[in-house]
Amino acid sequence: MSGAWTIYRRELAGLFFSPLAWVLLCIALAFNGFFFVLSVKGFGGDVLQSMSFLLGGSYTFWMLVVLLPPLLTMRMFSEEARTGVLEFLLTAPVSDFAVVLGKLLAATTLLAVLWSSAFLYGLALAALGTPPDWAPLVSGVCGATLVSALFCSVGLAISALCNTPLLAAFFATIANAAILSLPFVDALLALPPGSPLRVALGHANVITQFQASFVVGALDTKHVLFFVVWTGFFSFVATRVLEARRWW
Amino acid sequence: MITVRDLTRRFGPHTAIEGLSFHLERGEVVGFLGPNGAGKSTTMRILSGYLPATSGSAEVAGFDVLRNSLEVRRRIGYLPESVPLYAEHRVEEMLEFQGRLHGLSRSERRARIPRVLERAGIADRSRAIIGALSRGQRQRVGIAVALLPDPEVLILDEPTSGLDPIQRLEMRKLLVELGREHTVLLSSHILPEIEAVCPRVIILSKGSIAADGTQDELVRKLGGGARLRLEALVGPDVATAVRLLKALPGVVEVRDGGRLGIHHVFELPCAQDLREDVGALAHAKRWAIRELSWQRPSLEQLFARIALDLPDDPPSTVSPSTASRAEESPASASRTTLVQLDVSAPLSTSQPAPAAAAAQGKIVYNLNPFDMGASRDLSKPKPIDGPAASPKEDA
Repeated sequence: MSGAWTIYRRELAGLFFSPLAWVLLCIALAFNGFFFVLSVKGFGGDVLQSMSFLLGGSYTFWMLVVLLPPLLTMRMFSEEARTGVLEFLLTAPVSDFAVVLGKLLAATTLLAVLWSSAFLYGLALAALGTPPDWAPLVSGVCGATLVSALFCSVGLAISALCNTPLLAAFFATIANAAILSLPFVDALLALPPGSPLRVALGHANVITQFQASFVVGALDTKHVLFFVVWTGFFSFVATRVLEARRWW
Repeated sequence: MITVRDLTRRFGPHTAIEGLSFHLERGEVVGFLGPNGAGKSTTMRILSGYLPATSGSAEVAGFDVLRNSLEVRRRIGYLPESVPLYAEHRVEEMLEFQGRLHGLSRSERRARIPRVLERAGIADRSRAIIGALSRGQRQRVGIAVALLPDPEVLILDEPTSGLDPIQRLEMRKLLVELGREHTVLLSSHILPEIEAVCPRVIILSKGSIAADGTQDELVRKLGGGARLRLEALVGPDVATAVRLLKALPGVVEVRDGGRLGIHHVFELPCAQDLREDVGALAHAKRWAIRELSWQRPSLEQLFARIALDLPDDPPSTVSPSTASRAEESPASASRTTLVQLDVSAPLSTSQPAPAAAAAQGKIVYNLNPFDMGASRDLSKPKPIDGPAASPKEDA
């Protein structure tokens, strides 16, 4: 795994070298701050509720979660394949999975930095004499990071499939939105209660999985595993796509 | 060190390489030669573990490139044609990254990075951003990156493409140095480079090996066109001259090229340089020699012949000036090749060939050594008031 760590370090440096990451961070932080202030006002000064609104309870959060990972991961394979750097990486003495893992961790770290900005609000409130409830805050940030990892892994798999970053970002956004919309398939198809598909769709509901655990401040292993397993699955898909590229 | 057996790689319906087999001993420096699309890069990519083969096997340092890919990758330094580097990093950062990928400790990296930078001739640009470097400098960084893990095998795909002549010469010097310490498989379109750097050459054509051997072996085996040309005043008994020439050891055939003015032309297809023997015979028989030359095809000519699918035995007659130029330098040989391939009929006064004459454009012969190089076309009558001071080129 030292290879994955090496690639993680380089990718993270690469992300912070690129202006895109900084622009995205700035926009997302401004967005978050704006909605935090609005939600504090909207909830009548209930900071805890505002924070849970900010981390998983609002559409703005899910919008960021759908949009940001594809923008971060779009270049990771498609651009490198175009410039030839992928050839360098895939002939280095590291496994393909280590390459995927390093890139996934780097993109997730950047988003974790973004979500951790919630701690700043907490610290500011604590400094003002109203310490927040740290448990839901910490679990919310952890959950947001796990959700980000899931969508980053989807973005990586699609970036490995595409030859142009923009195309990769476009398809990854659609894929993320589709994953989030899975529960609505149930309503669309008017599935009878108890049908296996309905049960399966219920289990695949990312928003419910997230809100049932992380928003309320409880780290349920079941929900953590849900995100870890699906992230692992899409990372595996990305690895296989990367291997399949060698045959193209 | 590298063993390739029946290697085949297909991209859909297109077959990039088919049934490739060769072996490289430790410390060998081998040049991979071939026209575009011959399969050089595909073979190198398979050896580097980037591409899998459709069938066949390849081993590097005893490890199968497919089954033990990571072991192979630890032992090779691979420089693809595109010189893939992270443009946003500094040179030394790129090398640090490569060192970490190969599991080098911090002390090893600190010791090796300045060394390989020095070796690649890019030490003064170690803090430069890669994206700001020139093509030649990037190429050098690519070499330094490939050299950093001190690999047993170096696979360099067109390491000099895009370089200016000075950079190319410097790179050639570096490659010669690298060849002393590593097993090197090098591909290039620049034939003088291969001639200068690689004792052994593998020529690929349409995905298969067209030739494999040392340069001398290739020229000997495929040469097919090595010949000695004699223009001499042998007197009326040409048949005796032919018989005497044929009796010389090493001479298989003597072609009578007919008369050129007062001289007679003979061509002797022979793999070895027999000028000493023929010269001695001419001296013994008091033949006045105007030209005695031996020409064998250069690697470049062989390459062109294989690439263009031309017959092994090129047209027999080479103009004297062409032959002498061909021996001057490999660079000029490329021009020579074109000239030689274009000429399709022998040059002879006894059997005039209009097509050859047209291709040749002019036939100028210097007859009198005392008139300061005065020349005239023998196919035309001698002008009464013809110029005598400077060579005249009648069309």
